[in-house]
Amino acid sequence: MQTTDKILSPLESLQVIRETIDIAKRTFRDNGFHFLLWGWLVAIASLAHWYLATNNLHEHPEMAWGIMVVIGMPAAIIREWRREKIKREPNVFSHWYNMIWLGFGISMILAIPLAVKNHLSPSPFILILMGFATFMSGIMLKFRPLILGAMVIWAGALWCLFLTDVQHLLVQGACAIFGYLLPGYLLNQEVKKGHVSGT
Amino acid sequence: MYQELNPLLLSQLRLAILSYLMVAREAEFNMLKEKTGATSGNLSVQVGKLQEAGYITVEKTYRNNYPLTLCRITDEGIAAFEQFYQDLKTYFDNQKSPSP
Repeated sequence: MQTTDKILSPLESLQVIRETIDIAKRTFRDNGFHFLLWGWLVAIASLAHWYLATNNLHEHPEMAWGIMVVIGMPAAIIREWRREKIKREPNVFSHWYNMIWLGFGISMILAIPLAVKNHLSPSPFILILMGFATFMSGIMLKFRPLILGAMVIWAGALWCLFLTDVQHLLVQGACAIFGYLLPGYLLNQEVKKGHVSGT
Repeated sequence: MYQELNPLLLSQLRLAILSYLMVAREAEFNMLKEKTGATSGNLSVQVGKLQEAGYITVEKTYRNNYPLTLCRITDEGIAAFEQFYQDLKTYFDNQKSPSP
């Protein structure tokens, strides 16, 4: 974009606004790292929990979720710390994107113990929240596979109505694969090709 | 209607700076130069005009011992941009349906 101190007509003004905002939005990048990280971890933890529970291999099969804290959190924190160190480019889009996922995290922390305390399977509640955050990300990035992924996750939450608590874990694992991992890999590829301006 | 548009924002470069800052909220001088494709001299003059109008603030600081000029949009700048955009919309609406 080449700009000078030329005086604009209203139509040219509108074009300048559109072009510049589009350029600014392109600085908002996400290569799908978190979708891949959390997608793999949720899929592994769900399937491990299901396997341990159905085969009575452990007194507390829910311990499988420990990988979220042991691997997921340090990996996410290190990744964000490194990204912040390389380049800090504030942007209202990245701010709202981060706020959506922060809200998701807080909602998860509240929803899981509430569900467990009331003897309910937390999986459908987790899936509803996952679907919402993924849907919002898809809208903000204008990336259709994430929107479709969110719909798959929401459909999974609905499907849980007809299944047992242990079967919920299989649905959750499948939702992580089709709602997080698959769109995450596609997003990663698009960013590498430079087709997705925002993430 | 054309005359009612904020004349300060009818400059291509000043409008580009303010539009960029509407999204980024703040940007280094060199980043603005890269994104707008303007020359340092021209950018410096137009940043000064926006600063005089109170639409942006300019902070001279250091990062890793390197001098850094940081431009930030102010609340006044946001309001001016929103008003300008609204005026543009009104202008085009009037163009579509001219009064008898």
